[in-house]
Amino acid sequence: MDKCRQNIVVLEPSKIIYEGIYASISKSEYNYSFYHVDSLIELETILIKKDITIVLINPSLIQNKIKEFIKIQKQYSKIRWIGIIYSLFDNSTTKLFDNLFMLTDDVTRIAKIITKACSKISTLDKNDEQLSEREIIVLKHLAKGLSNKIIADKLNLSVHTINTHRKNIMDKTGIRSLAGLTIYAVSIGIISLD
Amino acid sequence: MYKTQKYYITKDKKIIELINENYSLLLCLQHFNIDFSVNNKTVQEICIENNIGVNTFIIIANLYNSFLPSENEILKIDDIKPILQFLKRSHSFYTEDKYPELKYYLEKLKNDSSLNEFILIEQFFNEYFEEVMEHLKYEDEIAFPYFHSLIQDRMTYQKKSFSSKEYKNHHTDIETKLADLKNLFLKHLKIESELNIKRKFLNTLFGLEFDLKIHSVIEEKILIPLIEIIEKKHNG
Repeated sequence: MDKCRQNIVVLEPSKIIYEGIYASISKSEYNYSFYHVDSLIELETILIKKDITIVLINPSLIQNKIKEFIKIQKQYSKIRWIGIIYSLFDNSTTKLFDNLFMLTDDVTRIAKIITKACSKISTLDKNDEQLSEREIIVLKHLAKGLSNKIIADKLNLSVHTINTHRKNIMDKTGIRSLAGLTIYAVSIGIISLD
Repeated sequence: MYKTQKYYITKDKKIIELINENYSLLLCLQHFNIDFSVNNKTVQEICIENNIGVNTFIIIANLYNSFLPSENEILKIDDIKPILQFLKRSHSFYTEDKYPELKYYLEKLKNDSSLNEFILIEQFFNEYFEEVMEHLKYEDEIAFPYFHSLIQDRMTYQKKSFSSKEYKNHHTDIETKLADLKNLFLKHLKIESELNIKRKFLNTLFGLEFDLKIHSVIEEKILIPLIEIIEKKHNG
């Protein structure tokens, strides 16, 4: 992923607040793309479709859905989760976030919190653009049309692990379909056309 | 879920100014079958002249300017026929305009390139194209006739084969493959060909992606919710 490109989702019911956040922090050294969603379901949909790096969340939208929220967090472990705080919130909710800001905070401070989250992601990504040896092996089998289950058996790994490798391959290459991954595998020479 | 931009279409704005601001609205007009010689007319005047509900036009045209309508705005739409006609016309735009264009450039690239994997790219594109055609056929032959029968209050048409979930899955598949094609060209493949041809191919791809995205939003966020309301009314 491009170090400077960040897709940010704002999970917030109020459009005015969203617009305010967008307008205040969109000017930055990073290329921010903003997306507005107002429910966990909509958030999940966009997480599947886009390579999201930061989610800004109004905690009131997850208060009664903590379990679902933790599940999403586990599934997307690279994402930074930042809470948008209007008022007092239970500590058990706010501790789920990597960072927080108050709506009344100075814009510079809010921008700093987001920039900081971006730089953490960038460091994470720096050594992470190349496929690992294991990922190349998985890709080779995928491109040959083997199912996750068969690959797992062949490599003595769990189906879950194969799924994780598969997701990482997709994130790193930006290619999501099997047919597309096959073309990629041929282009880097790990399988041949025959 | 949308990217924010800063201009919003309202009924008193002059169409010509809107087009000058964002020329992709020409495509929107084409899908509504509105001629481009718009003179100095306002949105409302053009809508009346073309027999299209102003609300409907404003909602759809604003998608081209990256504004999603609110639920309340969608509920104000009282006639979905122009939306169905709009979608149907955009189908012709894809099948008769955009896809042949992509095929044409792909063929040119293939002739110029010595890349072994081009055969796979061509296969990828052909399969993708088949998939799109199948989806459009599904819309033309199953979804739209069902919607028409609902609005004409003819309950003779059976719902049997229409499923909004299937509808949405098709869209996701189509969008994924299009993004893959873009990423392959921009990130991974070194294709020897004239820069000009490569740019034209990518331009067409981006143009198609833009319109397809709006197409899915119209269907998923506007049409399906309205259809569900009509279905509920029918079921008492």
